[in-house]
Amino acid sequence: MPVTSAVSADGKDITIKISGRFDFAVQNEFRDCYHGIGPDDGVSFVIDMSKASYMDSSALGMLLMMREHLGSNDANITISNCSDDISNILTVANFQSLFKIT
Amino acid sequence: MSANTLTVLVADDDVTNRLLLEAILHKEGYDVIHAEDGREAVEVFERQRPDLVLMDIRMPELDGYQATELIKAMSGDVFVPVIFLTANSDVDSMVKSVESGGDDFLAKPYNRIQLQTRINALMRIRELYSTVRQQRNELIQHQKRLERERQMAKRLFANIIHTGSLDQPNIKYLLSPMSLFSGDILLAAPKPSGGLHVILGDFTGHGLAAATGALPVSSIFYGMTAKGYSIAEIVAEINTRLKTILPVDMFLAACLIDIDTTTHTLTAWNGGLPPLVVYDARQLTVSQRIPSRHLPLGIIDGESFSRRVEVVTIQEGDRIYICSDGVLETQNQQGEMFGRERFNALFEARLVPQALFDTILGQLSEFQAGSLQQDDVTLLEICYDPSLLDQRAGTIEEEASGRGRISAAPAPWGLSLTLSAELLKDLDPLPLLIQALMDLQGFRGQRQQLYTVFSELYSNALEHGLLGLDSSLKANASGFVEYYRAREQRLAVLNEGEIRIDIRHQPEAEGGRLIITVEDTGAGFDFESALLPLTENLGHAGRGIQLLRSICDEVAFQGKGNRVQVVYRWQQSRGE
Repeated sequence: MPVTSAVSADGKDITIKISGRFDFAVQNEFRDCYHGIGPDDGVSFVIDMSKASYMDSSALGMLLMMREHLGSNDANITISNCSDDISNILTVANFQSLFKIT
Repeated sequence: MSANTLTVLVADDDVTNRLLLEAILHKEGYDVIHAEDGREAVEVFERQRPDLVLMDIRMPELDGYQATELIKAMSGDVFVPVIFLTANSDVDSMVKSVESGGDDFLAKPYNRIQLQTRINALMRIRELYSTVRQQRNELIQHQKRLERERQMAKRLFANIIHTGSLDQPNIKYLLSPMSLFSGDILLAAPKPSGGLHVILGDFTGHGLAAATGALPVSSIFYGMTAKGYSIAEIVAEINTRLKTILPVDMFLAACLIDIDTTTHTLTAWNGGLPPLVVYDARQLTVSQRIPSRHLPLGIIDGESFSRRVEVVTIQEGDRIYICSDGVLETQNQQGEMFGRERFNALFEARLVPQALFDTILGQLSEFQAGSLQQDDVTLLEICYDPSLLDQRAGTIEEEASGRGRISAAPAPWGLSLTLSAELLKDLDPLPLLIQALMDLQGFRGQRQQLYTVFSELYSNALEHGLLGLDSSLKANASGFVEYYRAREQRLAVLNEGEIRIDIRHQPEAEGGRLIITVEDTGAGFDFESALLPLTENLGHAGRGIQLLRSICDEVAFQGKGNRVQVVYRWQQSRGE
């Protein structure tokens, strides 16, 4: 499975793990991971990129969709364990101003 | 013949056979027509176009094979099944039947059930065949229409997103869309004060959807550049527009640059594109990299959007490179990307600047080596040549201002304007002011000159008068950058002072005199002694006043040096 998600016991933390290419092909699976959750649910998301090999601009678009769905500036999304390539793509797009990147 | 009654042609020279078949077919509810030999079969077929043919093989005039060939040729792409009637089904006659176009055999003696089954099977094929044919025709029509529409849209698109100003000898570019429409845009427009604005952008996605977003970008870019707005203002306007119209997951990674031939500077705003590279033509090395410092356009709202630009100095012959990430993400047959390291290495090889662009293209296509293009690829090289960039600006400006404005007869008028510190912080008044003058008097063909006059007077009043910047800072390249940094900082905290602009117009025969006075509340300067060495000093600092003197009839400093009056004479242009 290229996209899997795990929910913590209290339901307040969700980790989405991306494997392989992060692009348009996984958009439905990716959306399903946060679809049922709204801005007021107080859920923190971690997107784990440790197994992701590549991301393109459509994946950046998918991150923006997720951010908007979860309340834009109020969204609590952390992108973690990025490879050099992926972190470069995020940096060039200046996504560190929209997401926590660790 | 009712719509669903099938007509069957029976071609047999034997009357008994014919009657027997006719009887069976009638009983099954078919209309039957007949022919007594091959030639008659062809004639009857041509006249009455039956749905199915039962064909004897041995007949006078034309035999069954020849008649079938003619009938099949006549029916074109309508499927009319032909069933051969045979006494014995030897291999030879079967082969000949198939070669002539026959679809089935029926052995004598005839059996009612057998005949019915064969006919039903062939009619089902005929049905299917006709559906496929209809769908194919619809598909072809649809494809043709779509292609026509696409071609028309492409032409329309090309007219709107024209790259006219890119076609000059000092600019090279590669635009390689992966489909008919590119998600990358590359536009250039001359500034009214001389020099060039360029935008290179890369929309999320490819094709028509991405290309549609380019339309508002191009109209804002061309419109605001022609009116004299700075790239900071243009980028903010494009961002606001795109934020409104683009879906959330779509944005424009872009780099805007302003090449200024008066100050020899490059001003850039980069949001989401690979670093802009300036290649020093003398040192054969990269002198500047301006990486992405901002979010791409269309993601965040006006207030948090940063329009901060960077200013660097450039020298004649330097090369400026901007590319879309399609260049770095070009893949080879192993799926490996060209990448930053390979791209950067091209600039470290101490190549002569003339060879760089073609070397980059060569390396890219060698790397790609026939594997499929994955993204739109755009690469731009500008060789900094002040004389070329200025010439172009003149001609384009003439074209743009020639658009249907009625130039009013010269009349006397006057205009006074007071700009407070509060206003100056966020507003560049020049585009508005110039536009107002153009609307008042229609100074056709004068926009560029007027712009230069006002921008020199205004920046002098603002930078030296109100901000107290020392122009000797600009004596060398690093000082230049520092000068602009200080300008930005001091402007941000400016809270007192004002600039007063007074304009009087006196008509003359076929033209007039503009008397322009600009006064600031600053300390002024000792112009009598300071101006003397300027005639010998052609460095960065003296250029402004030199420029004013070359355009205006009179340039006079007054008061304590905080007031300048110039007289600009103009002639109505005619017969364009």
